[in-house]
Amino acid sequence: MMKKWLLAGAMILTAGAVMAAGDPIKERKEIFKGFAEAAKPNGAALKGEAPFDLAKAQAALKAYSDGSKKLVALFPDNSKTGGDTEALPKIWQEKSKFDGLVAKLDKDATAALAAIKDEATFKAEFPKVLGNCKTCHDDYRLKK
Amino acid sequence: MTHSQAAEGRMALAWDFPTRAFKWTLVALVASAWASNKFGAATPNWHKWSGYAILVLIVFRLLWGFAGGSTARFGNFIRGPRSVLNYGLAILRGQPVKYLGHNPLGALMVVALLVLLGAQSVLGLYAGDEDRIIIDGPLARTVSDATVAFAARWHHRLFDLLKIVIVLHVLANVVATFVKKEPLIQGMATGYKPAERYVDAAEARPGSIVAALACLAVSIALVFGGIIALGGKISF
Repeated sequence: MMKKWLLAGAMILTAGAVMAAGDPIKERKEIFKGFAEAAKPNGAALKGEAPFDLAKAQAALKAYSDGSKKLVALFPDNSKTGGDTEALPKIWQEKSKFDGLVAKLDKDATAALAAIKDEATFKAEFPKVLGNCKTCHDDYRLKK
Repeated sequence: MTHSQAAEGRMALAWDFPTRAFKWTLVALVASAWASNKFGAATPNWHKWSGYAILVLIVFRLLWGFAGGSTARFGNFIRGPRSVLNYGLAILRGQPVKYLGHNPLGALMVVALLVLLGAQSVLGLYAGDEDRIIIDGPLARTVSDATVAFAARWHHRLFDLLKIVIVLHVLANVVATFVKKEPLIQGMATGYKPAERYVDAAEARPGSIVAALACLAVSIALVFGGIIALGGKISF
């Protein structure tokens, strides 16, 4: 009896995980949310509203590099609408340009990760990575 | 006197130097503000300083409208709706009267541009992206997230409106200069227009350079003093 319940529970959990994994809109939203969270302390440090923290800068850049690698596969043709997506149709109208911008985020984050050693290099390099957010949002994200 | 004014080639001062310097610097700064948004994603200070400078110039122009040369003074060129209507009708009939300074429709455009650019730069002070990560105005930290989002939304919308108004402004002056052969653009560049029978004045009385510098100093103090007094921080 107990085994049956455990099995059922495991099945439900697995189904949930499979559904989440099969939901690119949800997945990419999670990644972008993580991007914003990782950016916050660094954005504040750039403005002098919070102290510079090398570990937080590196964690963010690592997240951007890892996340952008996943993002490339998370805009399939069947994910244009639904799930409160803020992705604009323009993404799929110029998919290769969009993919190029995602790849550029990865490249810029990796380069910044190698270049940022202290506060001075952080202030010089980190904004270049953040610039990628704006470039993409201007063209491909729904304006509220 | 009347005879010599009608003589061919004689030019009359229409715009003093500070008025022209204001005008063309503003053009350059609006272009800079646009370009910094388009190409300056990694350099937020470029856009912010374009905005500060525009706000300084708008405040300068408001002061100059009372202390400046005769054609720059609001009292000499802002006219009532009846004059605007009559001037508009005269254009449609193909026989507009000529003004040395701003004509009644041009005056309307000057007011519209000053109001829109002033509002746009003030909105920018409070605007910011979501979470204020990439760029935010110096006063965004002093207000709620909802206010920042509101300011950002209207900062975008007002720019769409500005684009339309700027196109109209440029078009009107290009048509007047190249189709109607009334050298308005040359006049704003050199300061001089052909001496003719203008209905408002025969020649402008220039404002003083000292007064212009004083107006500029006051506007810089007002803009940056104001931002700091309201709790803002200016970053370089």
